Amino acid sequence: MQTTHMATPVLEVAHLEKVYGALGNVTRALNDVSFTVNRGEFVGIMGASGSGKSTLLNCVSTIDSATSGTIRINGQDVTRMKQAKLSQFRREELGFIFQDSNLLDTLTARENIALPLTIARTNSAEISTRVQDVAARLSISQVLDKYPYQMSGGQQQRVAAARALVTDPTMIMADEPTGALDSKSARLLLESLEALNRRLRATVLMVTHDSFAASYTSRVLFIRDGKIFTELRRGDTDRREFFDRIMEVVAMMGGEGSDAL
Amino acid sequence: MLCKLAWGNVRRAGRDYLVYLLTLTLGVTVFYAFNTISMQVDIAGIDEEGLAQVMGSMLGDLTYFLAGVMAFLMVYANNFIMKRRKKEFGLYQVLGMGRGRVATIMALETVIVSVVAFVAGIVLGVGLSQLMTFFTASLFKTQIANFHFFFSMHAFYLTLACMLVMFVLTLLLNLRAVRRTKLIELMGAERRNESIKTRNPWIAIAIFAVGAVLVGVAYYRLLRDGFPLTATDSKLQEAMNQFGITTAMVAVGTFALFWGLSGMLIKLLQSLRGVYWRGLNMFTVRQLAAKVNTVCFSMGVIAMLLFLAITSVTCGMSIANVMNENLERYNPVDVSQTYVYYTPDTLDYYKGYANPSEADRMVLADTTVDLYPAWHGKGKSADNNDETGKKVDIADVAGEHVQIDSYLSYPFGGSNPSVTPSEMCKIMGEKLPKAFGGSNADTMGLFVTPASQYNKLRQMMGEEPVHIGRDQYLLTCDMGGELVDLYTKYMAGGHTLTLGGHTLKPATDKSDEDTAAIANSAMGSNSGTVVVADELLSQLNLQPYSSSLLVNYKQGMDTTEADESIKYTVLDNLLVDGKEPGSWGIFITRSEMYTQAAQMNGLISYLAIYIGFVLVVACAAILSIQQLSNVADGSRSYRVLAQIGCEDRQIRHSVMAQQAVFFLFPLAVGLAHSFVALKVIIELVSIFGNMSIGGTVGLTCAIFLAAYGGYFLVTYLMSAGMVQAAIATRYSE
Repeated sequence: MQTTHMATPVLEVAHLEKVYGALGNVTRALNDVSFTVNRGEFVGIMGASGSGKSTLLNCVSTIDSATSGTIRINGQDVTRMKQAKLSQFRREELGFIFQDSNLLDTLTARENIALPLTIARTNSAEISTRVQDVAARLSISQVLDKYPYQMSGGQQQRVAAARALVTDPTMIMADEPTGALDSKSARLLLESLEALNRRLRATVLMVTHDSFAASYTSRVLFIRDGKIFTELRRGDTDRREFFDRIMEVVAMMGGEGSDAL
Repeated sequence: MLCKLAWGNVRRAGRDYLVYLLTLTLGVTVFYAFNTISMQVDIAGIDEEGLAQVMGSMLGDLTYFLAGVMAFLMVYANNFIMKRRKKEFGLYQVLGMGRGRVATIMALETVIVSVVAFVAGIVLGVGLSQLMTFFTASLFKTQIANFHFFFSMHAFYLTLACMLVMFVLTLLLNLRAVRRTKLIELMGAERRNESIKTRNPWIAIAIFAVGAVLVGVAYYRLLRDGFPLTATDSKLQEAMNQFGITTAMVAVGTFALFWGLSGMLIKLLQSLRGVYWRGLNMFTVRQLAAKVNTVCFSMGVIAMLLFLAITSVTCGMSIANVMNENLERYNPVDVSQTYVYYTPDTLDYYKGYANPSEADRMVLADTTVDLYPAWHGKGKSADNNDETGKKVDIADVAGEHVQIDSYLSYPFGGSNPSVTPSEMCKIMGEKLPKAFGGSNADTMGLFVTPASQYNKLRQMMGEEPVHIGRDQYLLTCDMGGELVDLYTKYMAGGHTLTLGGHTLKPATDKSDEDTAAIANSAMGSNSGTVVVADELLSQLNLQPYSSSLLVNYKQGMDTTEADESIKYTVLDNLLVDGKEPGSWGIFITRSEMYTQAAQMNGLISYLAIYIGFVLVVACAAILSIQQLSNVADGSRSYRVLAQIGCEDRQIRHSVMAQQAVFFLFPLAVGLAHSFVALKVIIELVSIFGNMSIGGTVGLTCAIFLAAYGGYFLVTYLMSAGMVQAAIATRYSE
């Protein structure tokens, strides 16, 4: 996996800060966060509730704005983009998977997956083939003509993943994608993401508080109280071993409390 | 404590309650203003007693109708708000609050909103009613001499009572809703994946097609059969049944159209792949489909209401227009007084109502009487009509005058008319126009009048006399439209008439409508008269029907003064050799007719506009509420769209497209229904002349469309704001 061309940075976050609230009652959600994600990496961001991990993902995914610092995706600084440009950027460069699959109730799976393409005005023949392809890859071809309420949670989540992937984004943002799934569905989804990352070199940034989910990634960033606490690389170890190492860090973060910093 | 909670809720749920509040306020405003009409009429200087009575009774009925519309609106708005508040009420219960207290909070919220709406509505209503006074005055063509601020306690109490009834009604509905719903449902009211009630698109298309066919057939039937009003007695029941079937077909067809609409739309657009898989079209269509399924019934109701509104307004105002246009023709002289003779048909009827000594005097008239001498020096003033009273003499005011005698077309003592429109149609081999079946013109037959009297009236009106020979006839009629066409056609065709064994030929090929009146009237006095030579008439020995004295005032005489001096005349019964051959009939001055017509016109226009406006506004309000709640329900979808990179502009276009369908489709269906109905109505009222739709009607429709369009625009702008807010909401944790 460790080949030279993978060193190209896709995401560069530098000195990111996010402050909520006004004078006298300030919450510092992110405090001087800096890191880099290279092309083809599968990066996990872990932290407890309120650690700032979701804020970080929201800022990176241009859904929220940063207070200071820069976020470069593919060399473009998204903190300085105008609203109209942001929509286009999200459409062309990013794919989203949320905890609740966020599928549109009134559309079938096929239509949900096609949505980013129709918004970008891709021609209908191409839409059709691309939807079929991505559905085959995520093994959801048989539910394409069902509505979200007719699918299982795992199927919904994979449809959402297909929707994120169909545009061939530079980076996939996943926010607790397994949060609402049973363990079997969660495993299926994670395996799909891992396969996407390995076979298609998709760059994935996944926020999770679940060590098991994090063990599928190639690198995990730990966040606590708005700061990067530490970082783990999987290297050539197998998943089970990586999981144990993650657990150790989690135990240490939880066990030692804020004194650790 | 509960009060505080309720008040806080109302303030927090401001946007949801705003729609409810606006609807309620609107209802109160309109209701109050409507019930002040009698006061407005007073202030607008319309002091006709009869009119006030007519209005009073019409308004009474309409108030119920209006209250019904209002109740529907309020219950609708209330359901909307309840749906949005369910989760919160569920939360209170989870926190351990008893159902009774939850119900109390909800009741308090309803009270707060109702009170605010009532106060705001009354204030606006008072303002509106002042403004409407000017509108009233202009419709009734009067001047406001003494404008002052007014407040109607009557309208206030009525509105208050109505509000209270509705308040109790909505409260009961809400309590039932709280009591019946399970907690899990209350909490899950905003659940993740809404199950979509999908309909098999092919069935939907079939239903849509059935709806279209039903409506089409109903149109055809209506155009063919017309309204049952014109059917003759024997066929009336059947005609009514047929009309009932047609009505049912339109109603069922309309609902079927809306029921099948979504499936139809989806299939149609999906077949256009390039369109369906482009931008947000797919999303727009699916959203529409999901909503149309649940609101197809109310869309059908709205289409029917709009149809009612458009038809009643257009129709009412057009009839009023026609009446006004023909007023000059209907009233050829300054004043007319009619005397009606007893005929074999009516004598017994009148005897039954008279006291014995009077009844004995009543006889069948075998000849006409001269009216001018009967009035010459013998009238008495109404306010002092004994022997000492001032005598009223027609000679004081009369200039030129003429008496027109109308005879029935059968001899003295007979009973079957020998000349009728249906007989004429038979001779010409044509169908009797729908409007005349069973009408007076047909059952009584045409009247017969001597040529000398007809020509004298023509002369008074500055027209050349028409020569009518001993073997000739002329047909006259002042009602315009199809009747005149029929008579003209008959004469132009050279058809003969047979009267008492004499066969007569037409004297000319055209009759002059403008000199055809036989007395002043509001809507025409002559449905058909055969004018024949005097010497022929005297031989025929016909049954007299009526005589009218038509008088123009002396040259240079002031019309108002002249009117005043003879207006309240009491005339003694006419006695011929101690016998009474008939009774005094209607006395009409031309100026009185003009005033009445202006008032009638005003009344009809007023009610038509008002009803129409209420209906249109009610429809628009319902649509508006529906759309706003749709947008609120769909806010999650709009957020998702924004997240996956959809531009705000695209989202707004989608919202606009969805709302346009909801607003325009019922309007289009309502308009289509109206066009067909109006076509039939125009045919029906063409008996009064050619009805034209234009002028005021155009303006009124423009105002209505502005109101409807205004609602559309406001709804869209509010929705766009809501979408913007939904997009801007970060999904924060």
